[in-house]
Amino acid sequence: MSLIAQVQAPTVDFRGLSPLIALVVGANVVLLAGLLRGAGVQRVLVPLLAAVTLIVAGALSVAIWETGDVEPLVQSALAMDTLTLSMSLLFYLAGLATIALSLRSSAVGEAGAGEYYTLLLASISGMVVLAAAENLITLFVGLELLSIPLYVLCGSAVRERASLESGLKYLVIGSVGSATVLYGLALIYGATGQTDLGRIAAAIGEQVEVGDPLLLTGIALTASGLAFKASVAPFHQWTPDVYQGAPTPITAFMAVATKTAAFAVFLRLFDAALSTNQVEWGPALAALALATILIGNVGAIGQRSLKRLLAWSGVAQAGYLLAGVVVGTRLGLQATAFYLATYLVMNMAAFAVVIASERVSERGDDISSVEGLGARSPVLAWPLTIAMLGLAGFPATAGFMGKFYLIDAAVDGQYAWLGVTIVVGSMISLVYYLRVVAAMWMAPDAPPLAGPVRRMSPASGGSPEADPRAQPETVAVALVCAALTIAIGIFPSPLFDLAVQVGTSISGI
Amino acid sequence: MSPVWFVALSAVIFCIGVGGVLMRRNPLVVLLCLELMLNGGNLALISFARMHGTGDGQIFALIVMVVAACEVVVGLGLIVAMYRRRLAIDVDSMSELRG
Amino acid sequence: MSVNLSILVFLPLLAGLLCAVVPGSAARWIGLAASVLVLALSVMLVAAFDPDAGLQFVTDVAWIPELGVRYSLGVDGLNLFLVLMTALLWVPATFVSAHAGYTRPRLFYFQLGLAETAVLGAFLAQDLALFVVFFDLMLVPFYFLIGAWGGADRVQATTRFVIYTLVGSLLMLAGAVALGVLSTPDGGQISFDLAELARRDLPAGSQAWIFWMFALAFFVKAPLFPLHGWMPDAYRSSPVPVLVLLSAVLSKVGAYGFLRIVLPLLPDASARFAELVILIAVVSILYGSVLAFSQDEVRLVVGYSSIAQLGFITLGIFSLDPKGAQGAVMQMVNHGLVVVPLFLLAAVLVHRAGGSESLARMGGIAFRAPVLAALLLVVSLATLAMPGSPNFVGELLILFGVFETHIVYGLVASAGVVLAAVYMIRFFQRAMHNRVGPSVESRDIGRVDFAAVAPLVLVIVALGVYPQFLLGRTEAATVAKVQEAGRLAEPPAAATAKEPVR
Repeated sequence: MSLIAQVQAPTVDFRGLSPLIALVVGANVVLLAGLLRGAGVQRVLVPLLAAVTLIVAGALSVAIWETGDVEPLVQSALAMDTLTLSMSLLFYLAGLATIALSLRSSAVGEAGAGEYYTLLLASISGMVVLAAAENLITLFVGLELLSIPLYVLCGSAVRERASLESGLKYLVIGSVGSATVLYGLALIYGATGQTDLGRIAAAIGEQVEVGDPLLLTGIALTASGLAFKASVAPFHQWTPDVYQGAPTPITAFMAVATKTAAFAVFLRLFDAALSTNQVEWGPALAALALATILIGNVGAIGQRSLKRLLAWSGVAQAGYLLAGVVVGTRLGLQATAFYLATYLVMNMAAFAVVIASERVSERGDDISSVEGLGARSPVLAWPLTIAMLGLAGFPATAGFMGKFYLIDAAVDGQYAWLGVTIVVGSMISLVYYLRVVAAMWMAPDAPPLAGPVRRMSPASGGSPEADPRAQPETVAVALVCAALTIAIGIFPSPLFDLAVQVGTSISGI
Repeated sequence: MSPVWFVALSAVIFCIGVGGVLMRRNPLVVLLCLELMLNGGNLALISFARMHGTGDGQIFALIVMVVAACEVVVGLGLIVAMYRRRLAIDVDSMSELRG
Repeated sequence: MSVNLSILVFLPLLAGLLCAVVPGSAARWIGLAASVLVLALSVMLVAAFDPDAGLQFVTDVAWIPELGVRYSLGVDGLNLFLVLMTALLWVPATFVSAHAGYTRPRLFYFQLGLAETAVLGAFLAQDLALFVVFFDLMLVPFYFLIGAWGGADRVQATTRFVIYTLVGSLLMLAGAVALGVLSTPDGGQISFDLAELARRDLPAGSQAWIFWMFALAFFVKAPLFPLHGWMPDAYRSSPVPVLVLLSAVLSKVGAYGFLRIVLPLLPDASARFAELVILIAVVSILYGSVLAFSQDEVRLVVGYSSIAQLGFITLGIFSLDPKGAQGAVMQMVNHGLVVVPLFLLAAVLVHRAGGSESLARMGGIAFRAPVLAALLLVVSLATLAMPGSPNFVGELLILFGVFETHIVYGLVASAGVVLAAVYMIRFFQRAMHNRVGPSVESRDIGRVDFAAVAPLVLVIVALGVYPQFLLGRTEAATVAKVQEAGRLAEPPAAATAKEPVR
């Protein structure tokens, strides 16, 4: 009796944990459902269950939404604050889109629907843990829970050499990143003696000097490890290869959700735990942001594969996002969260179109596969056009608002030059984004548009899949995301309100 | 013996791991080197835990071991899948994806 | 009688959206009807305008409260006639396109409507961020219009056009954000409202770099001398209706930006760099004139002459003198009015010369085309600022302004007036008289083109007879914009004139 009284079990707030519990339960249910035979189960029931899981988790996240600096859960291991919840909602949205895009993917059939969707849900739960991590241990667990299922998903198209290769490449490089993060976290722990982010923040400047070499080395290693995940230069080289080789729905998921998760932890770690050190790591991260913006944009210029192009553009976008982290202000936090949301819708629209067109074109994801798309199927060409213009930062799209906010935050945080760098990067990016738009609408060999619009592309041999109506869910994802891109560009206020609420999650900046 | 030496040893192990990942071509050896990196981190955690007299680092190390095992399983699984398909398992010859 | 500016701005876009869904044959008439409706609204606007009331017909609601961005539109003397000019010129452009029968008409008229909305929005915006939004938005429709319906090398031309202009625009975006953030007083609320920003102080050091970001954007848009690299290709490849809008309307947004934003918000920097900008303007005048004289392609003759004209406008603005600025505003409207008929008539000439753009292959067209010749003569005389034309009044005012402040540059710029006479007369003579070209067919102007050009020529003549109609309404607002910068430039003007800038 007395022994039991001595052991103090942590109080578990099941209400706060409910989204995470829903995800894990859902992942198990999906895995079990996947064991059932029958095409109907594999093609309909399993994805439906996975989608329901995400919707339930999303609804629970909305239900426990609470602004301000909320009390962490489970002995301050996880914080279900507005930052976590808003990022989780982005993960769920990305997950739903990925499920829709995967429905006709060959990778699902090869890996088994149950396994495929379970891994997806597991990865999303890892992202939630990572975004919520208030403790170095949960941070690492979240990071690995996010990464390991993704390694498998990358290699899930087991009959394709490129997919396996991409999986193994991602595994090796991702693990190097994880191990680097681990060593960095170990050094931070060594310097401060704490694993709790709040206590680390309190210890810096008190028990340990701001410029302590052990601490700074730890920060540097952690930052580079996370940079691997967020594909920030110079740790970005794997990105184009892995993105190109992975099944395209997974590429879309990685491009959007992994990046969001990586930036969530960047924000929490740097703006919350290490904010007193901002003068030390600020310039270094700013230099990384500069390099990332330039390298990403220049790298994208020569690409013909749309997936590689989007990978490089994702590198550049990571640079813009990093600018919001660098300034270490509330405004920067809000701008980064805002940009992540806009980044999600723009990229999802682009990837959905790439998936739709690569399925029917024998030229795969080469840029020539979208040539003349404006005439062939405007319903696909418009979303991709809007996505490209949005990523380039044209007004009346979400991308413009996001850049506006980021530049605002950068100038406000005494990093005006970084704001100018964002702008310079956008200029370079025009070269490749506009090339895609030009290919769709201004291709020199585009057939004259008199007469009825041809729906069948000759490359597909007139297969019924060439008709966009044959894959309605892909087109729907593209259209919804494109519509959101425009809507955010014209009426950004609701999203700004959310971003401001996210800004309240971290006190003391 | 001062824990500083253990930390130094952990750094050496970590660096050997990094070097191995960068230089070795056989994916099995690469996986081994990844393990070295993680174990370097583990050793550092345990030494720091000893230094500070708190248990956090040791718990951390235990969790890392579990995670490392998962990673190796996935890695080996992928290698086996490639081997079954009679693909070259030489990292340098993986050149399908390039550009 | 009140006009809702939001309706004025977004009517073309709504019509464009409508065009995008109706059958292609109906799209052109909807587009044309919308442009006429917009013109009617702007005429009502001018009729209801009160010259003494400052900013009028204001629409002002919060757009993005978190960033202090407001959706704020308003009319004053400065933009009144630019709006009218835009609305007026859109009608012949749409009219000509409707008869040209472009492919994919639904998309075409959607883009045309979007373009008009963007231009009107840029002219009417009273919030810096909103101005930037509309300013950048203009590029999208023009990118498509040139790229999808243009001539040879259109993709390359339009890409170059967009990259040039967007480089400027994006820098302006950074400059605008910086202007808003840095001029916010400690603890104050950030605002992009133009009137509010004009009241706030910005340190002279920040003003300098922000000034150049704006200036670059506006120079490219104009285009002025060192930044006109996109112009020849884009002009060559544009379809005619797009070309006239590009040259007549888009170029004015840049010059307008100087008056609306740069001079009132960055007065220190404007005074400091006025001399340098005047130098650029004068070089543009001379460069444009000389190249206009040496070109063989009719489009480029007009194109380079536009560079010279825009040089005059910039010169007037940066004389920082009330007279010069007034002349600049007048000249903006004039240039738009003359360049559209000029391009449209040039297109007719090209048609008559068997499709060749070359002046050398023209000649003798006037022989059996008296109406065409007469119209072109009036327009040419207006371009070279013949006394009695509105351009004469405009250029005279500009030169007055420059003589007040920078007499040397004024003298050099006067040479530009002479050069204009030289290249315009050469153009007229080569095209209309001389020996008959090899495949020239001397036939008078068609009904469609006549209907597009004649009203504009009438407006030019009317404005030449009664320029006070414009000057009286623009005076108060224009003078107010240059006052602050002019005052700052006044005392040390003599001193800085001797020191090299920076």
